[in-house]
Amino acid sequence: MIEIKNLTKEYRHGSLLTKVLTGVSFNIKEGEFVAIMGASGSGKSTLMHIMGLLDKPSSGIYKFREKNIIDMSDDELARFRNKQVGFIFQSFNLLARTNVLENVKLPLVYSGFPDKKEEEMALKALNSVGLSERLEHFPNQLSGGEQQRTAIARAIVNHPSVLFADEPTGNLDSKSGQQIMEILQKLNNQGHTVILVTHEKYTSEMAKRVIQLKDGKIISDELVACRKFAKDGLLK
Amino acid sequence: MKFIDSLQTALKSLKANKTRSILTMLGIIIGIGAVVSVLSLGSGAKKLIVGQIVSMGSNTIFIEPGAWNEKMEKGSMLESATEEFDIKTLKYEDALEIKKDPNIDMVAPFVIGVDRIVYKNNNRKITFMGTTPDALEINNTFPVLGNPITEADVKSMARKVFLGHKINQELFGDENPIGKIVRIKKQNFIVMGVGEEQGTQMFMDLDNVVYVPLTTAQKLLTGSDHLRWIVARVKNEDKIDETVENIRLTIRERHNIYNPEGDTAKDDFKIMSQKETAKMLNAITGIFTIFLSSIAAISLIVGGIGVMNIMLVSVTERTKEIGLRKAVGAQRKDILEQFLIEAVVLTFLGGTIGIIFGIILSYLSGIVLGNLLETNWEFIISIKSIILAFAVTTIIGLGFGVFPARKAANLSPIEALRYE
Repeated sequence: MIEIKNLTKEYRHGSLLTKVLTGVSFNIKEGEFVAIMGASGSGKSTLMHIMGLLDKPSSGIYKFREKNIIDMSDDELARFRNKQVGFIFQSFNLLARTNVLENVKLPLVYSGFPDKKEEEMALKALNSVGLSERLEHFPNQLSGGEQQRTAIARAIVNHPSVLFADEPTGNLDSKSGQQIMEILQKLNNQGHTVILVTHEKYTSEMAKRVIQLKDGKIISDELVACRKFAKDGLLK
Repeated sequence: MKFIDSLQTALKSLKANKTRSILTMLGIIIGIGAVVSVLSLGSGAKKLIVGQIVSMGSNTIFIEPGAWNEKMEKGSMLESATEEFDIKTLKYEDALEIKKDPNIDMVAPFVIGVDRIVYKNNNRKITFMGTTPDALEINNTFPVLGNPITEADVKSMARKVFLGHKINQELFGDENPIGKIVRIKKQNFIVMGVGEEQGTQMFMDLDNVVYVPLTTAQKLLTGSDHLRWIVARVKNEDKIDETVENIRLTIRERHNIYNPEGDTAKDDFKIMSQKETAKMLNAITGIFTIFLSSIAAISLIVGGIGVMNIMLVSVTERTKEIGLRKAVGAQRKDILEQFLIEAVVLTFLGGTIGIIFGIILSYLSGIVLGNLLETNWEFIISIKSIILAFAVTTIIGLGFGVFPARKAANLSPIEALRYE
């Protein structure tokens, strides 16, 4: 589903050229659960932004569902993101003055569904993260874990093909973090492709496959031998 | 994005910063309020002037002493009517000569002054007019009591006065004034008649006027034989321009002015038909309206800059939200639309309040002006000015909103998401 070949990304600040990604290649098939690991500055966030269609590579090939991303305009990318990609951020990024239900509906606002269908889809997504009781609450009335679950509901509301989770447990206590990982594993079992960016070894072992980045290069890409399951409880 | 969603988002955001939104709107409210009230007062003034002139009749001609370029400016004819006046080029004989023109129906020479009239212990400030019988007819002043001034009174320099409606009521109340003696400038006069209630005409309160036979007034009140002005009425209104020319020639001949090229600056008098006066006054009000509207328009621009400023602040504050919206699929146009609608909602709300404010303001100023000028000030709000105000607010919202909205729409999603 995702095909990446010789991907590079450079930033230019005046005369200073920073190479963030220097030739990255790998494929991801439908239904995979991939963790991208690396220290900060390894290029994992940049890679995720490119894979999540938020940014464009400087060179190389990136095909998403057979479509070459390089040729797409910003607006085409936006439309593509809307239908194909769901994001889960470390800092949740919920709209503060907007209740849970409306937050979850946000991607649908740009999809052009009838109001009734929007409501239906949002309720279904909230149900699958166990937040059906919190529809009218505002983000500041929720715990961190509940906020991240709202964000997950928002990510899956439009039935995207890939979920990108950028350090989803980074701002949470371990119990809430574990809950979030459990939901991600459940979603993966239901057929969602999940790409997880993390720097914690423990979290990465909940994925099926781990790609390690260092200085903009892949240093290892292997299947997880001894996969952990969040529902088994805290193993740490 | 559906329009209704954008509208709700905009309202929510404005509500979240209530004080800020109201302060920003204030600029628009004041600007639109000023434009609406200036336009309303302009129309009111025009209506009033036209009304004053129509009440005098469009078939009249004014003749005043002094040349166009000498001391007086165009348009000052009316405002200085009762002021001290020392140009002595117009005489009663000029009026008599003018009356010989076949198209002239009536001629009224005037002297005028302001003084106090005394009856017993009562006294009032009045405008006295020394004139001939024709004047009462031209002014449409008819007696409710007694008799008007007659030719005989003028010839015999009779010490008689004809009172305006209000002055009679104030001095005499229910008492019959006819035959009573009043004093002006320590001179005794017999009241011979009282006029009907008339209101103002050419901005003069005719109910507060005391008519005196011309010759009497010249001798006892003004003490000179020159006139303040002459009013002539034509028989055939179509020939009014021709008649004005004829009068010019007549007076030049009488005053020994050699002026074959017809240069009015060389004359020692000026003539204006009522039509011209109307045209001129209308032009003056028009210019004033445009001038004041321009000032109001400047305040609108300032208000618009306030809107732009606050929208820029809003875009910066909500950078993260914009990043998120883009990440979940908002296109450039969605973000552009969202912020444009927010700016237009802001100016439109301000405009609506401004229109209401302007209507109230012009209504109140109308009352004040009406009292000040002692006339009925007509309160006029044209649909045109309201449509104009709404159009202008929308244009300001779009015009000053487009820069911040573009700034928002052009943000890169990752940079916006990273913004702290």
